[in-house]
Amino acid sequence: MKITLTINGREYTRDIAENRTLLRFIREDLGLTGTKEGCGAGECGACTVIVNGKTMNSCLMLAAECSGAVIETIEGESESGELSKMQQAFHKHHAVQCGFCTPGMIMSVKALVKKNPKPTVHQIQEAIEGNFCRCTGYTQIIEAVQAGTDQRDEQEELRRV
Amino acid sequence: MLQTFSYVAPDSRKDLLAILNKEGTRAKILAGGTDLMVDIRGGKIAPAFVVDIKKIADLKGVSYSATEGLSIGAVTTCIELVTDKTIVAKFPIIADAASRLGSTQLRNRATIAGNICTASPCADLSCAMLALGASVEIASMTGTRIVKLADFFTGVKTTVIKADELVTRLIVAPELVNAKFGMEKLKRIKGHDLSLASVAVVKTGTLLRVALGSCAPTPIVLPDFPANAPLASILEVAGKTIKPIDDVRASKEYRKMMIMTFIEQIILRL
Amino acid sequence: MFENVPDNGLKYVGKGVDRIDTVEKLTGKALYTCDWLVPGMLFGKIKTSPHARARIIKIDTSKAEKLPGVHAVITGNELDYRMGLYLVDKHILAKGVVRHFGEAVAAVSAESWEVAHHAIGLIDVEYEVLEAVLDPVEALKEDAPLVHPDLGKYDHVREAFTPVPGTNIANRMKYRKGDLEQGFREADFIIERRYTNPSVQHVPMETHVSIGQWSVGDKISIITSAQSPFTVRNLFAHSFKIPHENIRIQIPYVGGGFGGKAGIHLEPLACCLSRKSGGRPVKLQATREEEFSLLPCRSGLVYNIKTGVKKSGKIVAQQMTMYWDAGAYADYAVNVTRASGYSAAGPYEIPNAWVDALTIYTNKPFGTAYRGFGHVEFSWGIERHMDLIAKTIGMDSLKFRLLNAMKPGSTTLTGEVISENTGNVTRCMEAVAESINYGQLTGAEKAREKKTGRKIGKSVVALHKAPAMPSFTGTSVILRMNENGSVSATFSLTEIGAGTYTSVAQIIAETLKFPIEKVHVPIEIDTNHDPYDWQTVASKGLLLTGNAAILAAIDLIRKAYEIAGQVLRASQCDLDHDGEKVFLKHHPAKFVPFSKLAVGYAYPGGNGIGGPLIGVGRYCAQGLSNLDKETGQGNPALDWTYGAHGLIVEVDPKTGAYTIIKVASAFDVGRAINPAAVRGQAIGGMIQGLGTAMFEGYYYDRAGRLLNPSFTDNKIPTSLDIPEEVDAIVVETPQIDGPFGARGVGEHSMIAICGALGNAIEKAVGANLTHMPIRPQDIWKALQTGAKPDSPGISGDVVNFAEAPLCSTRRDSGKHKKR
Ligand SMILES: Cc1cc2nc3c(=O)[nH]c(=O)nc-3n(C[C@H](O)[C@H](O)[C@H](O)COP(=O)(O)OP(=O)(O)OC[C@H]3O[C@@H](n4cnc5c(N)ncnc54)[C@H](O)[C@@H]3O)c2cc1C
Ligand code: FES
Ligand code: FES
Repeated sequence: MKITLTINGREYTRDIAENRTLLRFIREDLGLTGTKEGCGAGECGACTVIVNGKTMNSCLMLAAECSGAVIETIEGESESGELSKMQQAFHKHHAVQCGFCTPGMIMSVKALVKKNPKPTVHQIQEAIEGNFCRCTGYTQIIEAVQAGTDQRDEQEELRRV
Repeated sequence: MLQTFSYVAPDSRKDLLAILNKEGTRAKILAGGTDLMVDIRGGKIAPAFVVDIKKIADLKGVSYSATEGLSIGAVTTCIELVTDKTIVAKFPIIADAASRLGSTQLRNRATIAGNICTASPCADLSCAMLALGASVEIASMTGTRIVKLADFFTGVKTTVIKADELVTRLIVAPELVNAKFGMEKLKRIKGHDLSLASVAVVKTGTLLRVALGSCAPTPIVLPDFPANAPLASILEVAGKTIKPIDDVRASKEYRKMMIMTFIEQIILRL
Repeated sequence: MFENVPDNGLKYVGKGVDRIDTVEKLTGKALYTCDWLVPGMLFGKIKTSPHARARIIKIDTSKAEKLPGVHAVITGNELDYRMGLYLVDKHILAKGVVRHFGEAVAAVSAESWEVAHHAIGLIDVEYEVLEAVLDPVEALKEDAPLVHPDLGKYDHVREAFTPVPGTNIANRMKYRKGDLEQGFREADFIIERRYTNPSVQHVPMETHVSIGQWSVGDKISIITSAQSPFTVRNLFAHSFKIPHENIRIQIPYVGGGFGGKAGIHLEPLACCLSRKSGGRPVKLQATREEEFSLLPCRSGLVYNIKTGVKKSGKIVAQQMTMYWDAGAYADYAVNVTRASGYSAAGPYEIPNAWVDALTIYTNKPFGTAYRGFGHVEFSWGIERHMDLIAKTIGMDSLKFRLLNAMKPGSTTLTGEVISENTGNVTRCMEAVAESINYGQLTGAEKAREKKTGRKIGKSVVALHKAPAMPSFTGTSVILRMNENGSVSATFSLTEIGAGTYTSVAQIIAETLKFPIEKVHVPIEIDTNHDPYDWQTVASKGLLLTGNAAILAAIDLIRKAYEIAGQVLRASQCDLDHDGEKVFLKHHPAKFVPFSKLAVGYAYPGGNGIGGPLIGVGRYCAQGLSNLDKETGQGNPALDWTYGAHGLIVEVDPKTGAYTIIKVASAFDVGRAINPAAVRGQAIGGMIQGLGTAMFEGYYYDRAGRLLNPSFTDNKIPTSLDIPEEVDAIVVETPQIDGPFGARGVGEHSMIAICGALGNAIEKAVGANLTHMPIRPQDIWKALQTGAKPDSPGISGDVVNFAEAPLCSTRRDSGKHKKR
């Protein structure tokens, strides 16, 4: 079937298989491989994209459902050629290790900050509970979100004794 | 999905019911897909048609009237339940239950009818809706019927809905508007998890009702208590009614103890 | 190397500089193996066993073969290769028998994932189900079925490992120090208890994925999410008898490894499918469910500890018996057994000690390396035991630990003498104790207890670990100067997330005296182009590769000076350089820029000298030896990284629910090359360790089927599961042979945190636990019965087999006798 949708401000019309998940459509049909699959079952959030303003697990959605939708993925974050403010904060605060969770994480954080420009630590934690990160232990991610929302300046110190 | 199926998205209730009528068990309704897609992927079901009901306008929306009470359209998502002004003001337990379901990403997708039709013993919204004594409106080509949610579940993951039927909305009678409530959900982690035991209680000046999740093949509701029922008698009824199981999530003893503890905590709070 | 360079002279080392790999990752541009497409690529899927142990009677692939779009279907019958890191015991596809739930029995390549998936469903396998061995202790019984009846015929690394043919013992290690009997005779108390933990999954967010191509002339090309490119190449070469140079391994970005991607896994199967598909490349990617049972996990452990201690608190004897539940194949588990054996007592000195460590085959998914390499598992037992001893003899448990801690002059279980430079575990313990106000509740904590009705407990534990690696482990770094005077470094550690590449870049910049912007380190690896490294495991990467990087930098500068000396007509001892140029020390205005030297210097008349500048550094572990097979004596440890955790927990005595209020962790890292990255490792590993401690682990039914192979029932910590407060601390006792004094810390943060949690919970509410994970229901049960909880709360059809042997023998809390 044919669908037309907007991804990162660009309109795409494609003939798709009806059983195609949005995740595979984005990754395999459009080649936007920034969005990842970590489980395919709605648990881990690696596949998080923003659909009509809301974060969703693209692994559990069909591309067919998204005709007319406006979708944002990680690739849209730095189209100007510069890292967004939040991406810069992640960079500065060592909020990225293996990086596999990062695209989904950035999407969740983006949606949070749009609604709530100064989230508390707990609100940040709640907003990303559906985004598993096996590497960082989340602390530096939370700090990065605080920095990206002007609630923190400096890198948290490793204490030397 | 690696499994093949056809996708259909009728934009009217009539077309939808016609498809269901024609395809029967070969068709499966797709609401938020947070259960359906998982089941297809896991090979538990293999529908030939996946019928998306989200394009049907009259399955959406929340409204309240003093006569009928609260009406929640089938495809209302958890996030809509959490933020809907009427619900938050009049039936906050629904918002509370919806806010406990899954993660943000899931709440942005998962619908109330999906939660109820999945008929999982641990479904969070089912538990709250049982406490509210909700009814389910079910439509088919032959007409509409209304079933009490308490009579809706027939076993683990089974309900009274037939293959050609659709849940169109949930209805909560006005009696329990502004009732006090309490809800607790036992999880393995502090992050998103299915319930291992849950309790939802509503209380008005005259009535106290307790619904329980994950402690029987379906979510269950205890017979109504008077508002001033002593805790001991509620615990006794609960203890006799529940039949939790042992599995990888929790032991039956622990489930039972937690149900009792939650009931006690909530009742003392209300 | 350069361990004594004062801090204030350093520009990059010791600074939390930005990671060199995050921009690509943040923009979605970093390509992981799962993102790769290769022209002509086919898609592979695997048929797995639903049984723990069964004979394969028949496999009917005819329907699958006929499905349009299918290119190849293979079964074990047609593959005669066995693989294995240390013990060659595993077929690429099960041959004749399946040995664990989830084992690969057949595979398909096809034109799409959909067709491959469909074809797998069309393969019929007929099994005769056999009785499975599921419990490692039961597996030692004489009449236990043998998981590998042919064990005696398997090739293995004889210097290091000792399989026992005719049994389920894949490896037996012995460590003997001092006179154990005499030690027990001197003891005032003898305290014995058994500790258990189940298998656990690594859960890298990127599941295992490989693209393999087997072309004419046995040319092999593999793109894979592996941690150890040269080990994949080496094992592949050995198993298939193909020359190394024919095999090319490429590693793009890797989405986490934690040890699970250290060996060789999907690569051979992808290549065999490719060979049968006419040489077209085939991609295989594990689903999350397959990641839990087709791919390896971490071994379970049953650990028996018997300790003799004086009234004074001094430990005089300790007998340790480890039953490692390796699952169906030996993989890294034999080496986990070896490495855990020589560390088995934790960072405490035991004058008289025996360790018997067995790697035991069972019919379960097999164990491999996992961050901590056995130390997470045994530290659970050791650290719980240390508290039990302290309680028994009536001594504060921190005081007891400090009294017995390794100090300069102490000897390890293998006879190595600890020196001033080894590191300072005492300081680590003191630092975390101070951070959590150990030994008392603050006013705020008392108020919190009052408000919540919950109880607060605190604990301090200590840890150590040395890399587990061959005694002659080597690595190399090549530094090439680019035309503009910048350098590109290549080496074959993989950047699996730990940040080592950034640290190595800092080391190179520091040694070269170049701005770090001029040091380029590409993340992707290709064995056709990059120099050798053994593996990215064991927390040895920074030390060995860091040293090789220093040597490469020195070599590059020396070669630049050779040419510059001629150009400037000066002897090399008169030269100095900065980030731009080589100049005369006494006359800096006379200089030659690196950009002019980079690829060959041209004199004004056109004559050239030099040629491209390339620095080479190679480094090999020094002074290590094999271990004596009877006594375990020898020197296996490149370096010891010490550490400690302090933990504050709040427990609801009624339900067992708990919240971790604070964790303070301190590690003696020698020198923190990149403090922000060290902090990331400290916290990330600690949370991963808490996952193990709190709720992760495998559950099986009685037939050996894995009951929780998905995130639905195998939870990992989320952002809401972290402690309310964390404090990451470093002690810096320079490592003499470490780069700028640094030693590894990638794994250590995960170790012993489980014991910290168990001990703090016991302090809070008295629950006496010997099994982890510690679920609230286990605490509740322990408090109910005053005894140890059941196998993780499961009865009926489900048991936890690591736990089962306890049912008949010692199942209640520490039995101890006073003499
Ligand atoms: C990772 C994860 C976490 C989860 N956590 C929770 C949790 O914490 N609590 C919880 O309760 N649930 C949880 N769930 C389950 C699920 O999200 C909920 O049950 C959700 O409400 C289902 O709604 P849906 O709209 O996605 O349903 P769908 O998946 O679209 O449908 C579910 C079932 O109901 C049928 N159906 C849907 N709508 C109708 C209708 N109008 N009439 C007739 N039949 C219909 C479908 O055919 C299907 O069989 C979780 C699921 C996942 C994947
Ligand atoms: S891949 Fe979609 S939630 Fe894990
Ligand atoms: S950085 Fe590796 S999973 Fe988050």
